[in-house]
Amino acid sequence: MTLNKNTIINDSLLFSIIIIISILGLTILYSATNENIDVVIRQGTRLIFCFFLMILVSSIDINRIRFISPYIYAFSIFLLVVTLFWGHDSKGATRWVMIFGFSLQVSEILKIILPMTLAWFLSLSEDKDFDIKKLIASFIIIFLPIAFVIKQPDLGTSLIILLCGIISIFLAGIKRSHIAYLFGLFLVIAPLMWKFLLLPYQKKRILTLIDPSSDPLGSGYHIIQSKIAVGSGGFFGKGFLNGTQSQLEFLPERGTDFIFAVFAEEFGFIGVMILFLLYLLIIIRFIHITQKAKSYFSKILAGSITCIFVLLIITNVSMAVGLLPVVGVTLPLLSLGGSSLLSIFFAFGIMFSINRRA
Amino acid sequence: MRKSFLEFSRINTEKLFQNRFNILIILLIILSSLLIARLYFLQVVSFNHFDTLSKTNRIKFISTPPRRGIIYDRNNTVLADNASLYSIEINIEKKRNLQKIIDAIKKEIGLSKEEIENFYEKKYKYSHYNSIVLKSNLNEEEVAKILSIRYKYDGLDVTASLLRKYPYKEITHHVLGHVGYIDKKDLASLDKKKYRNMQYIGKTGVEKFYENELYGNPGYKHVEINARGRQLRDLDIGYAEPGEDIHLTIDIELQKFMFDALSKYSGSSIALNPNTGEILGMVSLPSIDPNDRLWKYGFEQEELKKLKSPLFNRSINGLYSPGSTIKPLVALSSIQNKIINPEEEIFAGPYFQLPNSPRRFRDWKPEGHGMVDLNRAIVQSCDVYFYKLADSLGIDKLSNFFEQFSFGKKTGIDMPYESKGVLPSNEWKQKNIGYKWTDGDTIITGIGQGFFLATPLQLAYATSILANKGVISIPKLNKKLVPKKSKDILNREEFFKKNITNMDWDIITNAMFDVVNKENGTAYWSIRDKKNNIAGKTGTVQVYSLSQETDERDEENIPEHLKDHSLYVAFAPKEDPKIVIATVIENVGSGSKFAAPISNKIINFYLDNKLEKY
Repeated sequence: MTLNKNTIINDSLLFSIIIIISILGLTILYSATNENIDVVIRQGTRLIFCFFLMILVSSIDINRIRFISPYIYAFSIFLLVVTLFWGHDSKGATRWVMIFGFSLQVSEILKIILPMTLAWFLSLSEDKDFDIKKLIASFIIIFLPIAFVIKQPDLGTSLIILLCGIISIFLAGIKRSHIAYLFGLFLVIAPLMWKFLLLPYQKKRILTLIDPSSDPLGSGYHIIQSKIAVGSGGFFGKGFLNGTQSQLEFLPERGTDFIFAVFAEEFGFIGVMILFLLYLLIIIRFIHITQKAKSYFSKILAGSITCIFVLLIITNVSMAVGLLPVVGVTLPLLSLGGSSLLSIFFAFGIMFSINRRA
Repeated sequence: MRKSFLEFSRINTEKLFQNRFNILIILLIILSSLLIARLYFLQVVSFNHFDTLSKTNRIKFISTPPRRGIIYDRNNTVLADNASLYSIEINIEKKRNLQKIIDAIKKEIGLSKEEIENFYEKKYKYSHYNSIVLKSNLNEEEVAKILSIRYKYDGLDVTASLLRKYPYKEITHHVLGHVGYIDKKDLASLDKKKYRNMQYIGKTGVEKFYENELYGNPGYKHVEINARGRQLRDLDIGYAEPGEDIHLTIDIELQKFMFDALSKYSGSSIALNPNTGEILGMVSLPSIDPNDRLWKYGFEQEELKKLKSPLFNRSINGLYSPGSTIKPLVALSSIQNKIINPEEEIFAGPYFQLPNSPRRFRDWKPEGHGMVDLNRAIVQSCDVYFYKLADSLGIDKLSNFFEQFSFGKKTGIDMPYESKGVLPSNEWKQKNIGYKWTDGDTIITGIGQGFFLATPLQLAYATSILANKGVISIPKLNKKLVPKKSKDILNREEFFKKNITNMDWDIITNAMFDVVNKENGTAYWSIRDKKNNIAGKTGTVQVYSLSQETDERDEENIPEHLKDHSLYVAFAPKEDPKIVIATVIENVGSGSKFAAPISNKIINFYLDNKLEKY
């Protein structure tokens, strides 16, 4: 492992934007937690830790990352087993596991580990056709961790992880005929899943999305209030720390799932556009890195990371504006929580590493 | 592994990837555009709609207080319970209505000027609150009257909250303590989030010590309110977690008996089980009914003085010279340090004098006791004998020995604000008085006078260690509590084991037994029914010192506040102690006449009624 002088500054624009959004995240978190500086300091500490992790990962050669991918995958499966038996509960779900004194939500880091593993697996036989055997093996890789996450139970995250996996195999060149079959299969399975797999509260969430007023006290409440927060922000916003909806503590999960609603209420449409612009700059750099990536593994992985990054933003914002059910997806770089930061910065590190080889 | 280093050369694959990547990017761009359109719709097009909603559709956060834990005695009799308290709350966001509402209430049930002033003061202080309590502790009639006019006034409401009730009133007050309004001092140390909108908190006694357990966790309610401040509907409810109930070691029957026995006096009495450290009864008089006190706050200093400080818990804060009750320990220390042979008779005249000093240390018996051995010295409480022992021992050994019996430090009982007392020593005097210790100081320490100060609880604790022959049980009030013996305590137990033989302990306890059971004992006449084998020691503590010249005291004509304190420590039965008692009665006279008969009656009551079985 050689520490290249070019390690970080090989894309200083990307690096600066990450820092800018991170600081923005801490600022809005201060407001979302009703000016609780302790939470902000804790999140800041996590950010610093994640920055170091990012620098460390970016200094590793991408081929070495490729080589260790299956081991990381195996380790995360192991952690999922640990979570299942020894994890700690919160609100009826067992999602966290203590590791080295940190509380880790393994399903969160799967969003990056799964594409990594798929990219590794598919690159083993990159010159061969994407046949049915490869497809089945890929799906085993995808569904093994998802089975554990469903069991937690965390259906929202399971679906997101599934989407991450599908993006990877889609980019890796799954055949069109296979896509058609899978789609057909989905149409058959979906109603069955609705009937047998979904828990009542999950069904309720999906139903209230279609008609929030059907359950204004329960799950519809979050959607209604979040929409009011975003809408009442207007064009210019109510100003920092002045979001009445957020400050009056009616918004649930203000620091995590609904941080965007707090942001939109206080900084308005113009603030949201600036935030999106910052995200767009990251995405443009990501696309650039993907285009320049040399190996098959790098290309699949960079492409997946780019798409997943956008997907997470879209999902989270859609939740806040009432277009998607509340599935517990965090907003990259803004939401409170260590595990999502860890996976995002791990992904950044990989992108820098790929960029170095390009 | 080589393969991955190959150039990504196969044009078809690369094309396919590019193709797929483009498809995804375009898809995501479409989704993003939809999202931006949605945001534009919400924030710009429908701004007015949502702005109105956010202004009118306010959500109120209401804390629901948890049920405070109930306090029971050892036989599940309720000592502290909850009842409902009705208060008038006024929504202060409706500023224009305020005066009208207050006038209406005044007309209906009457309001004092203070109550109104208080309300405005609070309103100013807590301007960020939705509503503020105007009047508390309404009776049913008042509640009905207010409810009947409520519909006319927006922002007027009657709320019910919990009120603490103490059925045994003043009898249990000093043990239980009481709850009271949260004040500035409390605010500094409590978890503000947990106590938001709460009215009261444990102030003293068990209520304070076990505040965390008793309090529980508040629940909350998100309530949607309309522009008039009226609640529309509950949106989200988190139920409160009730506080833990606490079972005390107190036996309320014994407690009552003790309180009644001392009711005429000021002082304290503590009964405990020496084997477990469980406090069976603990009274401090005078006392006050906390049920009234809770809401009518504030006593004038003058009034408190007149009532002889009823808020002062003499059991753990009253500092008294132990007097002659310390003599058994002085004797034991002399045996341990091999100063005397217990059997040896010493001449004890009317007074003791240090060489080269004119000062006479008098015996309580003007003519002296003549030839006394250790047993007789304790039985008759011969001062001169103990002056001599103290002189031979010296203050360092004495002080060190008293320390083994926990004088000069907190007992560690589960109550707040316990006093340490004063363990007399050279260092203590240098530090606190500024003078060097003198031999005269040592002499009077030998009979428990001088600088030596102890709380009644410390006296009971020391007696229980004596009754237990050196095994230490830390006093406790919570039945479930298992006090952890500190290293200091283990060291002390080790000290007793190594240095004091069973025979030595027996010499002392036999002498204490004789105090009550031998005809010449100072407590012989204090109890007629002697079947419970009580062993005890009286003490009479001078509140003012006798001048050097007068030998006689005119007992009858001493003003009350200068009369002696009457002390007594005891345990029973002697062979297998089930109860230890320490009693201090202020300004009445000798230990044999007051504290001893009362304490012995308490012991007999406890053992005869077989209360120890429970």
